[in-house]
Amino acid sequence: MGTSGIGSDTGSHSICHALPAGMKLLLTLGIILVAGLIPLEHWPAQGLLLALVFVGLSLAGVTMRYLVRRLALFLPLLLVFGLSVPMARSNDAAWSWTLSLWLRCTVSFMAGLWLVHVLPFRDLLTTLRYWHFPPALIAMLGFMYRYTFILWDELRRLRNARAARDFGGGPWWRVWSINSQVIGLLLLRAMERAERTHRAMLARGWDGSIRFLDGKDAG
Amino acid sequence: MHIRDGILAPEVCLAAGAISLGAITYSLRRLRFDLEDRAVPLTGMMAAIVFAGQMVNFPLFGLPVSGHLLGGVLAAVMLGPWAGCLAISMVLIVQAVLFSDGGLMSLGANILNMAVVGAWGGYAVYATIRRILGNGAAATVSAAVIAAWLSVLGAAALFCAEFLCSSRSAGVDPRGVLSLMVLYHSLIGVGEALITGAVLSFVLARRGDLVPTPNAPGSVGTIGRFAATGLMAALAVAAIVAPFKSESPDGLDAAAQDLKFDKLEVERPALVLDDYAIPVAESAWWPALPVSLAGIVGTLVVFIAAVVLAGITRRNVVPIRVADGSHGN
Amino acid sequence: MANSDQPAMELRRLSFRYPNGRLALEEITCAVPHGERVAIVGPSGAGKSTLLMHLNGLLPSPSLSKDDDAQVAIEGQAVTRSRLQQIRRQVGFLFQDPDDQLFCPTVQDDVAFGPLNLGLDRAEVLARVEQGLAAVGMADCLTRNPSELSTGERKRVCLAGILACGPSILVLDEPTSNLDPRARRQLLHILREFAGTLIVATHDLDFVIDLCSRVLVLESGKVQADGPTERVLSDPLIMDRHGLEVPWRLRR
Repeated sequence: MGTSGIGSDTGSHSICHALPAGMKLLLTLGIILVAGLIPLEHWPAQGLLLALVFVGLSLAGVTMRYLVRRLALFLPLLLVFGLSVPMARSNDAAWSWTLSLWLRCTVSFMAGLWLVHVLPFRDLLTTLRYWHFPPALIAMLGFMYRYTFILWDELRRLRNARAARDFGGGPWWRVWSINSQVIGLLLLRAMERAERTHRAMLARGWDGSIRFLDGKDAG
Repeated sequence: MHIRDGILAPEVCLAAGAISLGAITYSLRRLRFDLEDRAVPLTGMMAAIVFAGQMVNFPLFGLPVSGHLLGGVLAAVMLGPWAGCLAISMVLIVQAVLFSDGGLMSLGANILNMAVVGAWGGYAVYATIRRILGNGAAATVSAAVIAAWLSVLGAAALFCAEFLCSSRSAGVDPRGVLSLMVLYHSLIGVGEALITGAVLSFVLARRGDLVPTPNAPGSVGTIGRFAATGLMAALAVAAIVAPFKSESPDGLDAAAQDLKFDKLEVERPALVLDDYAIPVAESAWWPALPVSLAGIVGTLVVFIAAVVLAGITRRNVVPIRVADGSHGN
Repeated sequence: MANSDQPAMELRRLSFRYPNGRLALEEITCAVPHGERVAIVGPSGAGKSTLLMHLNGLLPSPSLSKDDDAQVAIEGQAVTRSRLQQIRRQVGFLFQDPDDQLFCPTVQDDVAFGPLNLGLDRAEVLARVEQGLAAVGMADCLTRNPSELSTGERKRVCLAGILACGPSILVLDEPTSNLDPRARRQLLHILREFAGTLIVATHDLDFVIDLCSRVLVLESGKVQADGPTERVLSDPLIMDRHGLEVPWRLRR
């Protein structure tokens, strides 16, 4: 998990990581907004923005390897998507629409990557608290984050168990049926776990009202 | 299914974001009465389930691509529309902020298309059909299958509207993109319907008591439900009749490959292209008829699937055992 | 708080039937004085977890709404719906699977959960978090994600979260399951430091010998034997009849 903000301290402490979390979010949103507003005839501005995002990514310590891999998965689909309009009706307007789409989307995508890299989840929750997001939503996000890790482990065990029995092969309907059962089993176990967790919360005095350690709108 | 940043115009994102924010706020308020102090653990867990469930890849009939569960209808069937909408919204938020999958500015549009249409709209269809078919396990599965199919078509139609609003000024005829997307969504919708039905059938056979009846407290009023069902049906018809559609790449699997979860993906290295790598060239010129045909064939497939899955469920379900709650004594 | 002429925990003919009709507990009567460490042993499905959950009012028992004729009493107070918050303050409950109990994204948030629910102010909560984590030797893990911790560490964080609420009674469900020997020994040390009453349900009889002075044998929802640890655990008649084995350390 080292290449992203998943997990807690990943040990990266670049100048970008040192920015306040709220600023990271606003900065990224700002860049995406500006990229969406720049019209095609000002493409050098768009290029400048791209360069800026690239510098940001380098400063944040994103490795070239990671960037190329993410882009290699992202760009082909974007190319196909953009091309389908000029293919339907090839004229100048269509082509300029496509070019502008490609640039916008690439800048936005790379800005998003920067944010993923520099914003740990914990800081995101703190920022959302600070911005007065509904406490219940933040508590649920924290809960989801915690149990996502556990369910991934459980999913891996279920799939290993399945692979041990039938090697994951077979006609498509069989794979579909087994995969659905894996999801169904995951769902059942997780719902049962949620019941137990609810009990554990009650045992520590939970009454349904959400309280955070930072002391804002407690109760 | 995710809409990337840059595809929709900022003002469209803003409008969709405002609607989504309202929907989330309303869901939170209803949830408090609905699930009380269980709201946080159940909804948070459901979001984690959908997130993890999306990691399971379904091969697409021999094509070198695969699809996955979206989960809006499944979450709503298990926990009701309010928790369902919140769970899917949270999945989308986490995917956008932690995986750069989907977009930040288009987050509102994604929530509107997948969480609000998927959970609210899907639930309305589900509840209405169950009212007609009754409370048996087979009825539950059929209703969920049809709701899942309509929710994907509804989301697709909504995306079309958003996309047309965004590219209006460019003087471009986006028909190529749109008709291509009808094909994609027909396929995605059939997949979503099959997976939702199969998962639910499994759950009903094991723990039927976990699936609530739609008339539980906190559900939508009858009039609202019929209105929402009509709207969903209209959206679905719009998606099929008009070759009118679009879609953006889905990078969840891509993100999964980059991060630590690639361990889960060992089986299908080809899945990186996900749902969307169908050759585009011819389809862009396809006239409306074959595209609509795809929608109609999809509808037929889904109805047949609903009947078959209902039959399987009826056979598998044992009389409901009440949870005895004694875990690991 | 501790009313010394009352037992810390008292059960009066406690019975419980699950909604599916299975009788899990039948007419259980016993009392545990202050500061005693009691083990509840018995085969799987004997009703141990069910019994423990009654001590915290976690099951929808009919006894919860009987104010005058309660079947469970903590510190002389009947466990009823209106007193649940008070009771849960006094009784700390350690669940079997630490992942069920650690639901916050960081260790600090999790340990703070109980104290925050007590309505304490921020400074007091932070102090209790620190004390709780120090008591279990996890003081340097504040910002860690519980998913990164080992099972033993997670168990200790759970315990910290309970100790931070300042309970006078600790109820532990299978505390040593899935622990390696070192983690098990650490847990033993922490529990020995705890001054209050301890009630432990477990299959780990060596752990019982090291920690508890009294043993209840439970099977089919009934108390089958009750007495000092060494006497009960070394009695082959009792042990064999209830699906248990006399531990090696007590064999003659």
